[in-house]
Amino acid sequence: MWTYVVRRLLYNVPVYLGIIALMMAMLRVRNPVMMFLGKSATEEQIADLTERIGLARPFFFQYLEFLGQVFTLNFSQESWQQPGKTVGDLLSDAIVPTLWITVPSLIITAGIAIAVGLVSAFFRGRALDKSLVLVATLGMCISYLVYIIFGQYFGAYKLNDALAGEGPFDGKLFAIESWEPGFPGNWIHFCLLPVIINVVVAMGYDTRFYRAVMVEESTRDYITTAKAKGASKRKVMFVHMLKNAMIPIITRVMTTLPFLFVGSVLLESYFNIPGMGRELLTAINELDFPVTQTFTAVFAALFIVTNVLTDVLYALVDPRVRLS
Amino acid sequence: MSLIRVDNMVKHFPVRGGVLNRIVGKVHAVNGVSFRIDEGEVLGVVGESGCGKSTLGKLIIRLIESTSGEVHYDGTEITHLGHNDMLPFRRRMQIVFQDPYSSLNPRLTVNALLKEAIVFHSIVPPSEVESHIDKLMAKVGLRPDQKNRFPHEFSGGQRQRIGIARALALNPDFIVADEPVSALDVSIQAQVLNLMMDLKDELGLTLLFISHDLKVIEHFCDRVLVMYLGYVVEEMNCLDIHGEARHPYTQALLGANPVNDPDEDRELTVLEGDVPSPFSPPKGCPFVTRCPLVESRCHEEMPPLVEKTKGHRVACWAVE
Amino acid sequence: MILKALRSRGARKFRQNRLAMFALGVISVYGVVALLVALGGIRLEETFERVSRNSIPGAWGSQTSEKRVNDAEEYLEEIESALDNEEHLEYRFAERKLVDLPVEELVERVEESWEIWDELADVSNVDEHPELLVKLDEVEERIDALFAPLEGVDGWMYAFRTYLGTDRQGRSITVRAVYSIKLAIQVGFIVALAATLLGTLLGAAAGFFGGWIDGLVIWLYSTFSAIPVLIMLMVLVTIFIDTPYEGTLVPLYVSMMLTFWIGPCRVIRGEVLKLKELEYVQAATSIGFGRFYILVKHLIPNTSHLMFINFSLLFIGAIKNEVILTFLNLGVKNQPSWGTMINQSRQEVINGFFWQIGAATALMFGLVWAFNIVSDALQDSFDPKHVS
Repeated sequence: MWTYVVRRLLYNVPVYLGIIALMMAMLRVRNPVMMFLGKSATEEQIADLTERIGLARPFFFQYLEFLGQVFTLNFSQESWQQPGKTVGDLLSDAIVPTLWITVPSLIITAGIAIAVGLVSAFFRGRALDKSLVLVATLGMCISYLVYIIFGQYFGAYKLNDALAGEGPFDGKLFAIESWEPGFPGNWIHFCLLPVIINVVVAMGYDTRFYRAVMVEESTRDYITTAKAKGASKRKVMFVHMLKNAMIPIITRVMTTLPFLFVGSVLLESYFNIPGMGRELLTAINELDFPVTQTFTAVFAALFIVTNVLTDVLYALVDPRVRLS
Repeated sequence: MSLIRVDNMVKHFPVRGGVLNRIVGKVHAVNGVSFRIDEGEVLGVVGESGCGKSTLGKLIIRLIESTSGEVHYDGTEITHLGHNDMLPFRRRMQIVFQDPYSSLNPRLTVNALLKEAIVFHSIVPPSEVESHIDKLMAKVGLRPDQKNRFPHEFSGGQRQRIGIARALALNPDFIVADEPVSALDVSIQAQVLNLMMDLKDELGLTLLFISHDLKVIEHFCDRVLVMYLGYVVEEMNCLDIHGEARHPYTQALLGANPVNDPDEDRELTVLEGDVPSPFSPPKGCPFVTRCPLVESRCHEEMPPLVEKTKGHRVACWAVE
Repeated sequence: MILKALRSRGARKFRQNRLAMFALGVISVYGVVALLVALGGIRLEETFERVSRNSIPGAWGSQTSEKRVNDAEEYLEEIESALDNEEHLEYRFAERKLVDLPVEELVERVEESWEIWDELADVSNVDEHPELLVKLDEVEERIDALFAPLEGVDGWMYAFRTYLGTDRQGRSITVRAVYSIKLAIQVGFIVALAATLLGTLLGAAAGFFGGWIDGLVIWLYSTFSAIPVLIMLMVLVTIFIDTPYEGTLVPLYVSMMLTFWIGPCRVIRGEVLKLKELEYVQAATSIGFGRFYILVKHLIPNTSHLMFINFSLLFIGAIKNEVILTFLNLGVKNQPSWGTMINQSRQEVINGFFWQIGAATALMFGLVWAFNIVSDALQDSFDPKHVS
C-alpha cells in the first residue's frame, strides 16, 4: 500500500509544479504592473513597482522564487490594493470565515445526500424515488445565484420581518450580510443561511450521483446473495451496499471541494463575508497581483492535498489497494 | 517451398509496477516457436488458455510485433517490412476473430465494412464492387439484400459469417482462424465449420486454425501444433493423433475428451498440479509441475523440439 | 457520421423516449427563437429602449397605490415638459405615442389631470380612502387617454413588450429575456462545440497513440483541472481587460473553451483506450489501414454518443457559468443576458419585485432542463452500464 501512496505523491508533485507555472504565466500575459497602475502612471512608478515585485527578472527565476515562498509558507508579499497588509495577513484573516462556511457545508451535504441517495436507490422505481429524482433534476436547472438571491430574501428579509424585533440580534435570525467570529450564536446568525443555500444547491447533483452509485451496487450479485441468505433490508443497505459504495462516495466527496470553492466565492461576495473567495475576487477585480498569485497558489495546493488525501483514503478503504 | 515459414518467434510482454512504474518483469507469451505451413494445408494450434496460441496467430500476420524471430511469406521475409511494403502481404494474409460481438464495427453496415477493404486494395474496379460484395455474401451463406444492415441486427453465427466474408473479401491466400467457433452455440459451430471447410476447398486456402478444442482440430486440420506455456511441445499430423501422440500433455488432452460410451475402459492421464505462471516460468520444461513422467533432467533443461519420425516432432526428455 | 448514428440501436431507443423527444423539441424552439432574434427579430437597441415607467409588473401583477401615484406624477411632468419644449411628437414609449390632437387641447387635458392628482399628492396612505382610489383610477384613465390607442400589430407588439413588466430603467423585460435566448444559445453552442471538439481530438489521440502524447495530454488536463474552474475563468477573463474585447463574449468563449475541454478529453480518452483493444480495430489493422485512418474513421465515430452527451453537458455549463461570471462583474457587459438580468434584479427582489428574475430564471430553466433531460436520455440509450 505504501508504494501506492508514495507513487500518488510523486505523481502529484509535477502536477502542482505545472499548475504554478501555468498560473504564473497566465497572470503575466498582460503586464500586471501596467494594468494595476493604469494609464496615468509615471515612468518612475512603473519602474518602482516592477522592481519591488521582481517582475523584470527572467520567468524561471520568478518561478523558482515563488515556489520557494509557497513551500516555506512565506507570505510576506505586500498587497498592492491594501498596502501595509501582507498577503499572509489577508490569508490568515480570510481563512477562518471560509472554513466556517465550507466545512459545515461539506459535512451536511455529504450526510444528507448519501442518506437520500441510499433511500432513493433502495426504493428504486417507486414513487418516492421518482419524486426525489424529479426534484433533484428540477433543482439543478436553476442558477446558484437565484438560490442565493431568494435565500437571502426569504431567509433574511422576510424572516426578520416576521420575527419582528425580539431577542438577540434584534430578533433577526439570519444576518443580511457580513460576519463575525464565534460559535454557536454568531455562526448561526452569519453563516447558517449561506451554508443552507450551499447545501440546497449541491443537493441536486450529489443526490443523483449517490443514487446512481447505490443503484449500481444494488444490481450486483452479492446483494442478491445477501437477500437470498435472508439479510434484513437494513443490513443489506448499510452493511453491504454502503460499505462497497464507499470508494466512489469518497471520491465524490473529495471532488466536490472545488464546487465548494465556487460557492464560497459567490456566497461570500453576496453576503459580504470576508473569506478567501471574496478576497480573491476583490484581488482579481482590483488587479492586485501579489494577492491573486498567492491565493491561487494556495487554492491549487489545497486541491492537490485533497487529491492525495483521496488517494490515501482509497488505500485505506479498498482492500484491493491495501493489500497490493 | 512452404507458404509460411516461422523461425524462432519470441514475444515477451513487459509488466510494469513499482513506485516509478518501471518494467519489473516480462510475460513470456511465445518462446522460440518455429514451424512451416505448406500451401493448401490446414495447420491447427491447440492448447489451453494462456498458452500463447492466439498471440502466435497475430504475430504471424504482424498484428502484434514480435520481440524477435522471423516470418517468411512465400519466400519473402516480412517481419521487418515498412507499412507500405507490407500492404500487398496484408492483403494476402487475413484473420477471422473469435468474438462475433466485438469483431465488427457497430457503426458500419456490412456493405460499408466490406467495401472499405475492397476499395482500399482495389480488388475489383469500382463498378464491380457491389456485385463482388453480393457474391461474397452469398458465398458465406448470407442473403445479399441484408448487406445494408448493421451488425447488431444479426445473430452470432451470422456475424461470424460476416467476419469470414471480410477475411475473404481481399482474395487472400492465407487465413488465421483464431478460435472462430468457440463463442458460438454447438449447433452453429458445426455449420460455420462446414462452411469454412467448403470455402477452403473451393478457394484453395491455407489456414492456421487455432482452438482449445482438440476434437474440432482433429476434424478440421491436416497437422497440429500442441502448445504449452509459449512452447510447442508436439507437432504431428492429425490422422495418427490417437495412436501416435507421444507428449504427456497431448495424451492428457486426448483423454480429456468425453467419449459417448460411459462404460468404455480408457486409460486417462489426469493432470495434477497448477499451471505455472507465464510471468515467471520455471527453469527447464514448463510442464514439470503437472507432468506424470517428470524426471530430474526436466527441471534443468527445456527439451528441444526433435523430429522422431517423419513430420512428427516432440519436445520431451521422457520420449527417447 | 451523424446520419449513421441516427440509425443505430441507441438512437432508436432515444427516439422512443417521449420525454427526451419533447425536450429536444423544446431545445429546437429555443434555437428557432435565437435564430429569429439574430436575424433582426429583436435588435440590440430595442433591449435598451424604455417601454414604460420603471419597475412595472407584468400582465397579472399589481402595484402599490403609492407607486401608481408616483408614476402618474412622472407621466404628467414628462408630458408637460414635452409639450412646453415642442418635443411632444418625439415623446413615445416604443409604439406608444401621444394622441394626435392640437397642442392646446393636450395642455388642457394635462391641467385637468393635475387638478385631480393634486388631491392625492400629500396623502400618506391612499388605500385607506376609497374615494381617493377612485380618483387615482380616474387620473390613470386620463393619462391613458393622452396616448393614441394602439391598433393591430402595434397593439400586439406593445402588449408583448409589457407582458412581463419593466426593469428599474423602464426597459421591457420580455424583450430582454427573449434576446437573452439568442445570447445563451450562442455562448452555449460555440463553447460546447469548441470544447467538445478540442477535448475529443486530444483525448482520442492520447488514448490511441499512447506514449508521450498520452503523457502530455494527461499532464495537461491534470494541471488544468487542479485549479478550480471558477478561478481559471476569472483569471482568463481578466487577461482581456482594457482590450477591445472586454465585456464582449470573446473572453467568455476563450476562458470557457480552455477550461471545459477537460471533461470530454477524459471521457473520450477512456473510451478510446477501451475500444482500441476490440477486435474490429485489429481487423482494420490487418487489412492495412494506417493508424491515423483507424483513429478518425473507426474509433472516433464510435465515441460519437459520448461527444453528444458531453456537448449537452457543456452547453448547460456554459450558460450557468455565464450567469455567475456576469454576477462577478467578469461577464457580458454590452448586451442583455440572463446573467445581467439576474444580477440587476438583486435590488428589485428586496422590494418584492420578482418579474425580472422570474423571467430570466424561467427561460433559463426551460433550456437547461431540456438539455439535462436530453443528456440523461442519451446516456440511457447509448451506455449499457448507465443507471437510470
